Amino acid sequence: MRYKKITPYLFIAPMLIGLILFRLGPIVAALFISFTKWNIRTPPEYLGLANYTEMFASETFWLVLKNTLVFAVAYVPGVMILALIMALLVNQKLRGIGFYRALFFMPYITSMVAVAMVWNWIFSTRFGILNNTLRSLFGTSNTAWLNDYPLWVLIIVTIWKTSGFQMMIYVAGLQGIPGYLYEAARIDGATRWQQFRYITLPLLSPITFFILIFSIIAAFRTFEVTFAMTGGGPLNRSTTLAYYIYQNAFVFNRMGFASSLAYVLMFIVGVITVLNFYGRRRWVIKDTY
Amino acid sequence: MQRRTVLLFALSVVLLSGVVSVQAQDVTLRYFMWDPSFEESEQQMVDICAAELGINVEMEVIGTPDYWTNLQAQAAAGDLPDIFSMSSGFVDEWIADGLLLNIQEYIDRDIMPEADNYFTGLLDVARAPDKTTGDAYAFPFAFVETVLFYNLDAFDAAGIEYPSEEGWTWDEFLAAAQALTIDEGDDGVIDQYGYWFYGRYAHIESWVYNNGGSFLSDDRTAFAPNDAAVETLEFLVSLVQEHGVAPVRSEMDGIRQQDVFPLGLAAMWVDGAWNISNNRDQLEGTDVRWGLAPIPQGPSAEGPAAYGWPDLMGISAGTETPDEAWAFVHCMTGPLRTVELTFPGKIPVYRPTAESEAWLELDLMPANKSFLLDWAVYTGPTSFTPGWGEWRGYVDGAGLEGQIDAAVAGDLTVEEALAAAGETADAVLGRFYGDE
Repeated sequence: MRYKKITPYLFIAPMLIGLILFRLGPIVAALFISFTKWNIRTPPEYLGLANYTEMFASETFWLVLKNTLVFAVAYVPGVMILALIMALLVNQKLRGIGFYRALFFMPYITSMVAVAMVWNWIFSTRFGILNNTLRSLFGTSNTAWLNDYPLWVLIIVTIWKTSGFQMMIYVAGLQGIPGYLYEAARIDGATRWQQFRYITLPLLSPITFFILIFSIIAAFRTFEVTFAMTGGGPLNRSTTLAYYIYQNAFVFNRMGFASSLAYVLMFIVGVITVLNFYGRRRWVIKDTY
Repeated sequence: MQRRTVLLFALSVVLLSGVVSVQAQDVTLRYFMWDPSFEESEQQMVDICAAELGINVEMEVIGTPDYWTNLQAQAAAGDLPDIFSMSSGFVDEWIADGLLLNIQEYIDRDIMPEADNYFTGLLDVARAPDKTTGDAYAFPFAFVETVLFYNLDAFDAAGIEYPSEEGWTWDEFLAAAQALTIDEGDDGVIDQYGYWFYGRYAHIESWVYNNGGSFLSDDRTAFAPNDAAVETLEFLVSLVQEHGVAPVRSEMDGIRQQDVFPLGLAAMWVDGAWNISNNRDQLEGTDVRWGLAPIPQGPSAEGPAAYGWPDLMGISAGTETPDEAWAFVHCMTGPLRTVELTFPGKIPVYRPTAESEAWLELDLMPANKSFLLDWAVYTGPTSFTPGWGEWRGYVDGAGLEGQIDAAVAGDLTVEEALAAAGETADAVLGRFYGDE
């Protein structure tokens, strides 16, 4: 077969068609829908900027945005630190270490519905094992975790569930660091902390940067755990932006308003991602061994 | 040879046309239903009607609230099922969107000649534009209402009389709730509350209506709770804050709300009679006795008021087989649906079945299922409006439900809660009744 200039494009055409139809197309359509009132059942009605005006004047929107930012600020460092600790623990040449890697990864592949059921039970005010344990050990009275601290419950559960995935990426990064660097450091008298601080962390920085971006996007897209555990309650105190979009689109049938929320979410995530890419020069080592 | 070929070809065309036309006469209906717990029984009923009518029926079942998301997606795609379950709470929106078939002609032909065999008053909720003179756009298959569930064994153990079928006053109810609230080990942990409730519509509205209260304006286009509604909410809040006979909602986190009563954590509970099925499931194998009673009437009551509404079957306005779809609905709601195939706790629309001795299920709990028929005659208003799910907090627990929960927990006064709920409700109702 003769090579033609069009040949590479033919090879990537299936992927491109899929991206256009199922990604770019809906993104562009959502932009137009955000200027309409559309309940999905009947044709949309043009509204101009009314959805955006309503959004920025809505107390619920600002509460939801605040919840989302709090979630991101707590979740991202939490999951990264936990994942790094677990990666350091499982990146050892010990018999059976594969079992522990699988164990730490298992929550990530477990159904969120099952996870939510178990954690709802753990946090149950009257019958939960957490309150029972605290009462037995410290004599505390029952705390209504799901009512009084719903957002923090979601943060804890999400960190527990997803850190296994970040852990595996860190493990891959750790295994890419040449061993002779640590040998040389030991010969020079470096302590374990100094090895970690001056070898491991800097050489992990590209991986850390990737996990940072991935975790930020994941935090802003949080939906499953909210849907399965608290339903955004009580009174929207655990509602995050992605869940609020779902509520408006598929519960309240306000596709236009939901589309405007989706664009705001996209804008926020886009700005944070761009800022991170500019900031990476300061701390991400470009050339690694 | 060529002539033979032509003849063979012509014969084949004629034969194939016959096959195609025979196949075109087979009708297949799609039926979408919202109750997975009832799937097996409903499939039996579907098979009976399909055989009776000589049609094929494909049933699909998805539980709520996913049912609505799915159904709306199908509506958007122009691919609604021929027949589907429809709620009284959403029927007005679906009628306004032109998605439900006008079935008045079928009703006039098939139902009204034997009107005595049906609870025809249930049709009103599906009429439009006028609720008494308009045409009907969906057909009721059952009537549901909220009742006061009470644990007979708990009452016996406390040595107090059961609720009267004429109805208690609030004071009588409170006295019973106090006697039924028990801390067995005297450890500060209540083992059995007298009553269980939170801001859910099925827990609250019937109390309001049994005190002459209302959440809506007379024309049902604005949120306007009257003094009697405020008085009712203050009484309910006092059950938790002042008298300690009911828990805050958060105390029952992690337990399904419909399991609190059958698990014995509360001796009384107001919710829909459809919970009879769950109560039986949870209490299977036990000897626990429980019954049904009217919701207590408050000091501003204008008489007993049952909070109830019909569950409906709607036919898609775009169905290609409206006659067969109606015949299926007619069959599914008629005499072929025997008592074994009716949903426990829902009154079937076919009167002879509902009034039969078999329907009373005297060998099963509740001890007085006949109360459902007696109570149904007092059916009064509902709070259903377009956008009801959003302002009432039906799915997300925000809206009025969440504000009532905050008041019960002591975070807000009742006035503050209603003011906050009113802002949401008026914003939602304004989209349907006001200018965008």
